[in-house]
Amino acid sequence: MTSFFDVLLGGVFHASVLFLVAAGLQLVFGVQRIVNLACGSFYALGAYFGITAVNWSTAHGAPAWSFLPVLVLSGVLLGAIGPVIERLLRTVYKRDEAFQLLLTFALVLMFQDVLRFFWGATPQQLGNLSMSYGKLAIGEVSFPTYNVLVMAASIAIAVSLGLFLQRTRYGRILRATAENREMAEALGADVRGIYASVFTLGTVLGTVGGALVVPTAAASLDMPVELVVEAFAVVVIGGLGSMRGAVAGALVVGLTRALAISFYAELEVLAIYVIVIAVLIARPAGLFGKPVE
Amino acid sequence: MNTQRRKILQGIGATGAVLAAQPYLSFPAIAQNKPLRIGIISPKAGVAGTIGECGLRGTMFAVDRINAAGGIAGRKVELIVEEETNPKDSIERLRKLVLQDKVDCVQGIVSSGVSLAMGAVAEEMKALLIFWDGTTQDGVKETMPNPRYVFRSTDNECEAVMGSLLAIKHWKGQFATIAGINPDYSYGRNNFAAFQALLKKFGVEHKVVADQWPKVGTLDLTSHVAALKAAKPDLVFSSLLFADLPVFMKTAHGAGLMDGKTKFVFPAAGFQHTLLKKEFTPEGMLFGHNTLYFNLDNPTPLQKAFVQEYEAKYKDYPHWEADRAYFAMQVYKAGVETAYKAKNAWPGTEDVINAMEGLKVDSLGGPGQMRKDHIAEQTFYQGMTTHKNRYDFATISDVTKMYSDQLQKPAGADFWKWIETAQIKL
Repeated sequence: MTSFFDVLLGGVFHASVLFLVAAGLQLVFGVQRIVNLACGSFYALGAYFGITAVNWSTAHGAPAWSFLPVLVLSGVLLGAIGPVIERLLRTVYKRDEAFQLLLTFALVLMFQDVLRFFWGATPQQLGNLSMSYGKLAIGEVSFPTYNVLVMAASIAIAVSLGLFLQRTRYGRILRATAENREMAEALGADVRGIYASVFTLGTVLGTVGGALVVPTAAASLDMPVELVVEAFAVVVIGGLGSMRGAVAGALVVGLTRALAISFYAELEVLAIYVIVIAVLIARPAGLFGKPVE
Repeated sequence: MNTQRRKILQGIGATGAVLAAQPYLSFPAIAQNKPLRIGIISPKAGVAGTIGECGLRGTMFAVDRINAAGGIAGRKVELIVEEETNPKDSIERLRKLVLQDKVDCVQGIVSSGVSLAMGAVAEEMKALLIFWDGTTQDGVKETMPNPRYVFRSTDNECEAVMGSLLAIKHWKGQFATIAGINPDYSYGRNNFAAFQALLKKFGVEHKVVADQWPKVGTLDLTSHVAALKAAKPDLVFSSLLFADLPVFMKTAHGAGLMDGKTKFVFPAAGFQHTLLKKEFTPEGMLFGHNTLYFNLDNPTPLQKAFVQEYEAKYKDYPHWEADRAYFAMQVYKAGVETAYKAKNAWPGTEDVINAMEGLKVDSLGGPGQMRKDHIAEQTFYQGMTTHKNRYDFATISDVTKMYSDQLQKPAGADFWKWIETAQIKL
């Protein structure tokens, strides 16, 4: 039973990490219809910048416990790059999807060089800071408290996004724009402003996600590609553009991976993509996606 | 991927002392006028980016000293640096270096995937190529059976053999169940297989209770650690490297995998030693530093000078790729100068190759040699982790030094058969 809980917690933690990457991807596609490959780059940028912010605050006398709010704040501040990137993407909104993919992939490559320029090729990390919040232990099951906080943050972000999109006036305008851009525009919605806001929110989700997860991992130049591949498995399973789908997809991928690793490690990748293929055949729009008519 | 070309001209920041090459300052003026061009192909990005960076620094250290001392046989050295990426693009850069830049020698390469593909091409082009690294067992016999123009690094499995021998020496009788968490490619697979083969050879009864194969670059190892913890092994053998190892350490420490009496063997820990912070890297683990351990009690003057310069210049501490790169440059230099002396004229590629076979040189990590079958022999270092140092990361104590003739197969032998039949001392 102890082993089961260890594996379960590992799976849910990985699902939380994946959700943080996939949430921004889903939001941007849902409203703007852009498959933003650079969401992984925002995640990596958040991780690197978060390390710098924490090191800076620590050097200026901030107590060890304050690293969590510093990371969140650094991620939010980085969201300032969102409007700049969105301005660039405007040039391909009405073009073929291939142009959008090429442009966002170019951004992935450019960000990799930006990361290397500022932080070098050596992976960066935050030492053992994540353990400063201690461990939660129940019997033989022990799990870092910080990891539990990351899972809680993912749940909080998922719930907040859901409430924002469903219960607020601006959320309804966003959904209306996602449904029919021309109609929303005709009814007076500031679509250009909405796109900038949505893309910035998507960017913040990525940068905060990267900043939150980096104490448990490390920041490396390969992060963007590594994560975006798994994030795509999440969105295919959950349904492109669906926030509920992001939650469900992340849980399916995270738990499947954890169980595969535990029972037969060789199946780690295969198990996930068997599910991806099954979903593509049985329900091409994903578990929560809307079928294309 | 972007390909950037950098020319690092002779004499950049030469800070090293002028050493043994003083006599060559008297080489003929004609030879001194034309720089010797050496192409370097090393990774700049990706998981191996930091490895390539450290290697390049080793090369630059060597070239600075060589140029300050008058060059190689009187000719200053000029480097042309290209990026190592995938096999196809890296081979294109090799062709460009040889055909367009007309370099005299190419050095570098970290990835086995690239080295296996590039070796055959270099042979076909008759281009002198000295690998820094990237030579696991698999495929070498097929792609480079009897290389003439290619010189290989030591077998990548040397560190696993040494780690296995030391684990058996220190802990035989203290473990019955083992687990592995190794990168999912030939290097990781061969290392874990070599460990088990050596356990068998030395009569260590054992049961494999878990074997994990995360792909390189996996930054969330929570599930892998949970699986290892569930298996309750007495000993964990891991060839994880790059950023994966510090992530594993942190995750394992957080999950309590390191709280018990489990023993750990990390043959490739030295590749990212500065990231293995004391807070999550316990003492008493077996760490491999391959062919360069920067913190020896009694380093050679060469190593001392290198480590001091590296620390001052880069605010960092070097790992073995710097040594591999330095070794490659020194072997080439010694080959050219030996051939020059024998011929009393500037030697051709064939003369240099003949001269390099069997040559002994001093590298940053210690003595080394290029065997006649074009495989390097070098000095390896491993030891137990300690926190008794001035750094924020774990170093090693009880350092064991072994020459690679004890760790790799002799010329023409099969690695696995060699493990079975070799007279290996613990």
